[in-house]
Amino acid sequence: MKTSRRNLFKFVGGSAVGALFTPVPWRLITDTALWSENWPGIPVPARGESRTRFTNCSLCTAGCAVRARLNGEQPVALAPVPGHPVSLGALCPFGLTGHHLPYHPARVKSGPVKEAQVAVADAIAKGDRVAVLDLRPGRTASWTYRRAMAAIRNGAYIAPPQPLGAATAVNLAEAKTVLSFGAPVLEGWGTPGNIIALRDRFRLIQVDAVESRTAALADLWVSIRPGTETALAMGIANVLGGATNFTPAQAAAATGISEAQVRRLAAEISQNGPAVVLDAAGSSSVLALNTLIGAPGRTLVTRREAPLPEAWTKAAPATELADIPERSVRVLLIDESAPGEYIPWGEIEKKLVAANPVVIAFAWSRAGYGRYAHYVLPAAVYPETLEDIPPAIDTVAPVFRLAVPLTVAPAGMVNPSEFIAAAAGLTVGDALRERSDAIHHGGRGALVTNADGQLTPVKDIKPDDFWKALNAGGCWLDTPDEKAPPPRLALADPKARSEQSADLPLVAVLTEARGSAAPASPLMSKLNQESNLRLGPGRAALHPATAAACGIEEGARATLETAQGRREIVTILDSGVPPGVVKVAALPGVLDMCAAGAPAKVVPA
Amino acid sequence: MISQKNPVKIARYGMTIDIDRCNGCGACMVACAVENNIPPAHAGASDRKGITWIRVFKVDNGAEYPAKRSVFIPVLCQQCDHDTPCVHVCPQQAVDLDPATGVVGQMPERCLGCRYCMAACPYHARYFNWWDPEWPAGMEKTLNPDVAPRMRGVVEKCNFCHGRWHAARESAAAAGKPNTEPVTYTPACVEACPTGAIQFGDLKDPASAPAQAAQKPEAFRLLEKLGTEPKIYYRSKREWVRGIASAPKAGARKEPARG
Repeated sequence: MKTSRRNLFKFVGGSAVGALFTPVPWRLITDTALWSENWPGIPVPARGESRTRFTNCSLCTAGCAVRARLNGEQPVALAPVPGHPVSLGALCPFGLTGHHLPYHPARVKSGPVKEAQVAVADAIAKGDRVAVLDLRPGRTASWTYRRAMAAIRNGAYIAPPQPLGAATAVNLAEAKTVLSFGAPVLEGWGTPGNIIALRDRFRLIQVDAVESRTAALADLWVSIRPGTETALAMGIANVLGGATNFTPAQAAAATGISEAQVRRLAAEISQNGPAVVLDAAGSSSVLALNTLIGAPGRTLVTRREAPLPEAWTKAAPATELADIPERSVRVLLIDESAPGEYIPWGEIEKKLVAANPVVIAFAWSRAGYGRYAHYVLPAAVYPETLEDIPPAIDTVAPVFRLAVPLTVAPAGMVNPSEFIAAAAGLTVGDALRERSDAIHHGGRGALVTNADGQLTPVKDIKPDDFWKALNAGGCWLDTPDEKAPPPRLALADPKARSEQSADLPLVAVLTEARGSAAPASPLMSKLNQESNLRLGPGRAALHPATAAACGIEEGARATLETAQGRREIVTILDSGVPPGVVKVAALPGVLDMCAAGAPAKVVPA
Repeated sequence: MISQKNPVKIARYGMTIDIDRCNGCGACMVACAVENNIPPAHAGASDRKGITWIRVFKVDNGAEYPAKRSVFIPVLCQQCDHDTPCVHVCPQQAVDLDPATGVVGQMPERCLGCRYCMAACPYHARYFNWWDPEWPAGMEKTLNPDVAPRMRGVVEKCNFCHGRWHAARESAAAAGKPNTEPVTYTPACVEACPTGAIQFGDLKDPASAPAQAAQKPEAFRLLEKLGTEPKIYYRSKREWVRGIASAPKAGARKEPARG
């Protein structure tokens, strides 16, 4: 065959057309597509042996049981444990994403440990007051702090206020009516699994200025003016025969609801009992309603603490911050490694000496007290640490469970209890093991093992096996005590509502309270950025009419101002927020400048 | 392999969601993201550009206080079984309805990102990857090894946790079970729901919990009038909630949708 230019073109063209009828080009397209799925920048998940391990979530005191799926040694998914006697198969979104926390971009990775040690040693040597602020009291670490503070000359152990008392639990199983003053009963209060299991057995009346998630799901939502919860409680107390002169008519005028409705609320909790009254702010004048309706001993019960080693009895008493003299604390050590109730910085600062105070925060990030501390020492975060979890407010029986590490903490992390014990010259062995032995020695209660869901009496287990089971995510559970009255609560005068002024025309309402800089996975953006299910950090919700009056549009940057300070926010329009109200997430930065019901204003940035 | 020429309806996987039990906690949303390697939001992401294969909407009855009532409704791909709109419009055959399981699948390798399926979906249950998937440094170690992350420029959606279905099928095969029998597994959202509001199973099996729940008088489906036979059944004893089924859309605006 003669090779001509025409034949060459024919051959090339024919080959090209013919190739289309072969699998080659289609395979190339598929392979290119597959390759593009894994090109640089798109992570390829690592493969490894799939295993299961159990632990307990320490992100809050609910301490929900967790089943972790591990890929090799790396946790890749967390799930609830169905049928667990304490958490009852529930796990919240924060707990489901707990394995992301070690990789949070805001994490503190190093800190001036030696400088902090010198500062504490110097203060102890001089006899200056050294105090520990424990945001989550009731842990074994809390006892270490108390023993350490007892071992030094001028030590103090400070715990957040617990209006019902540290040993009081809410027995929801006995309650037929729950009157909640803003308490997030269905949004993470207590043990979520317990609330869900008992939900059909009690009538929930939610007093809330805005339609919170709890208000939306309550049997009755009572919408009152923000900041008038105490006034309503006093009005109800008057109807119930409490020693108060605040009449239902005055309560109605203050709260914006009718006098008949105040009387109906009083009738509901007194006649449809047993009832319990809860308050998000922990106001004694609200909680005192419990005394009037006979809650002590029925829906409010005393809970014993898990047994302690006898050697731990020499410990400093738990003191509330309000009882510490002003300008008296030279060195304040704040344990923020276990999130708890956030105390506004302004209240803490008053207790520090005027000249050269030292504040040391053990924290996972600088989002909480790390913003004010002189030394921020990096602390391990769940699920890197071995720690016990104190019982939640709705746990009536003594419990003891451990958050077991699922992954190894990075180098340089500081263990707060070891740091504080060493500073006080206290020799502390394996405190958790000692506590485990003390519980076992008591011989009470039973051990729950997650792998098989079995309940085994403690007296049938050896001490070593008990400790091993606790380290495998097990839970010790005792039987609740019979009737034991909680502390008596006194009625207080209603707080005068802060008056709005032309300068601060709005009322601040706080939501999504999760305590002091509680860590959250970056994946929580699904709830607060990629959807509007929850109000995210740095965001504020306004009624469209309020926003229009402020000259603000949807998604606009603005400034939230109160008498205590100002903060940049992004505004969201929500017709569920009443006019004249600005709803913000209760994060530490917000709580420092804005109490619930505080006058505020929002101005365009 | 199941013959594609003679498809056998082995199972019809479906869900029932009890709206009266949903407390809007969002556990299903984050569990889904963990299971399916959906990344955290890009800085520029909003409720319109974010990726949530299952999204919980707060919906109210349109009344003013004190008559106002609200519920939380999780909305995911409704797994339409008849005239599936997204399957019809895809020019790339990147969407298919598995005849064996009834699951509407999305193949990101084939997707060219035209977003025609997003326009066609009556439920707004499809999401476009506006950005490359990124995780904070180190967090990529926590990815689920059974699911590949998707690249920028493709559409994705709920597939009833295909990775879990594969794992269940492999386990069944290893146990000697023929592949003509349905396998039992639990999607991540069902496992995570603390209230037990979501039930999952084979709608063909009359003994399964979702099949029984779907027969109850309070059961309804979203936009049933379109005739696409969605396999997600909702339940509520409240009439105004059931009325949402015929609303034009469940809500994709920042303002709560009105029933």
